[in-house]
Amino acid sequence: MSLRVAQAIVAKDLRTEVRSRSAVSTVLPFAATMLLAFGFALGPDRLLLARTAPALLWLAALFAAVELCHRSYQHEAANDALEGLLLSPADKGAVYLGKAAAAFVQLIALLVVTTGIVVVLFGLPIGPAPVLLLLTAVLGVAGLSTLGSLLGLLAVRSRSRQAALPVLVLPLVSPVIIAATKATEGLTNGTTAGVSGWLGLLVAFDAAYLAAGYVVFGYLLED
Amino acid sequence: MTALAEVDLAESAGIRSLSSVMVRNRIQVAAVIGHLASQGAPVTTTQRAAVRLSRVTRLFDGLAAVSQVSLEVAQGETVWLRGWNGSGKTTLLRLIATAISPTFGDGSVLGFDLRTERSAIRARTDLLSHETRLYGDLTAVENLRFACSLYDIDPRLADPALGRVGLEDVATVRVARFSQGMRQRLALARCLMRGPALILLDEPYAALDVEARVVVDELLTTARARAQTVVVASHEAPPGHLVDREVTMDGGRVITPVRVAPS
Repeated sequence: MSLRVAQAIVAKDLRTEVRSRSAVSTVLPFAATMLLAFGFALGPDRLLLARTAPALLWLAALFAAVELCHRSYQHEAANDALEGLLLSPADKGAVYLGKAAAAFVQLIALLVVTTGIVVVLFGLPIGPAPVLLLLTAVLGVAGLSTLGSLLGLLAVRSRSRQAALPVLVLPLVSPVIIAATKATEGLTNGTTAGVSGWLGLLVAFDAAYLAAGYVVFGYLLED
Repeated sequence: MTALAEVDLAESAGIRSLSSVMVRNRIQVAAVIGHLASQGAPVTTTQRAAVRLSRVTRLFDGLAAVSQVSLEVAQGETVWLRGWNGSGKTTLLRLIATAISPTFGDGSVLGFDLRTERSAIRARTDLLSHETRLYGDLTAVENLRFACSLYDIDPRLADPALGRVGLEDVATVRVARFSQGMRQRLALARCLMRGPALILLDEPYAALDVEARVVVDELLTTARARAQTVVVASHEAPPGHLVDREVTMDGGRVITPVRVAPS
């Protein structure tokens, strides 16, 4: 039943996103605008742009994740649907996995587009190991979506709501952002030395966030 | 009893420090005293109770929304819970549904402990309120199928349930386009589809047109036929022949449990 619940949550969240187009209409323009603003602020120095591009890419992904997870739980809060999840006998861990998986899919799609923007605007090279770069993207986005899906629930239940999510997410997600940025930096510079360490760190944090989310989500959902 | 008298009573009962902290809140002190007084004094109960609450109190920011409520609803019984706005009806229903937990007191629902066996209670209970718990970007039938996944029931039950509440023609329309009355009917369809042992209805007649009110009454009739237990919190009286008993609440307390003569 748990798998069925997780699948139903993923399908519901993705269907809601496709129909409401909140990521396309708000999150993506937000990320693109942020990248453009940084591009203008840094000036025309191509070398500087390329050097800062990995960090900017992951910063854009972070802000997009915060906004996306916030919107995801806003949909749940409308009409008290969140209470519907609470009052169902469904495994709350499965509900969390579904929410995290849906966020993962949406963030990967967003990252593909923002990467395109960064490659064009900042001249970021793909590097000689695109598979490792893809793996970095997957692991980094997994960290953002697992943590965002857990803390998004906390934020929507707190009185300060939208303001609470970045305050909660930013300190905790720092290891993921640092590791993903360092790995991306190395891979786009054409070196794989040290990348495995950063990828290992990403795996460790992803596993920790996922396990914590699976266990804690039900308690956070309760009154 | 005055607030001062309640504090004196609390102090004489040996909870001086507690009473000094809570002296500013008359209701909270009363609730704590009631809880202490309840120790060792269990409420007499019957074996076939669907709902059994023993001196349940729920505080919100120190104020008691429900105070020392003891209530027993027999299996298959339909109870009309009446009272003014703020009398505690909704909070009581939410306590029974396990949407919130009691601050003091204990109880059981359908034989399961209110605090420790919440999942079992939730699998057998449905709470219907004005917040319909539907997703606006999903269609009517998608909302019901999603509920089927959560409750592990056959999704083929969704279409007949829509037919029973007269929404079969708008099955593929997004709920965001529905009126409040249509949403209420869809929530009723979800309840009919599930067929829970205990149905909790919070102001079920609010925002409903005449046609939809009939659906609520049909739900009560069906529940009676299936021996489902129903608690209806409403300003408006449900049809007399569908109600076994009325319970009046005021200020978070149950005032009068009265038997209703069958019409």
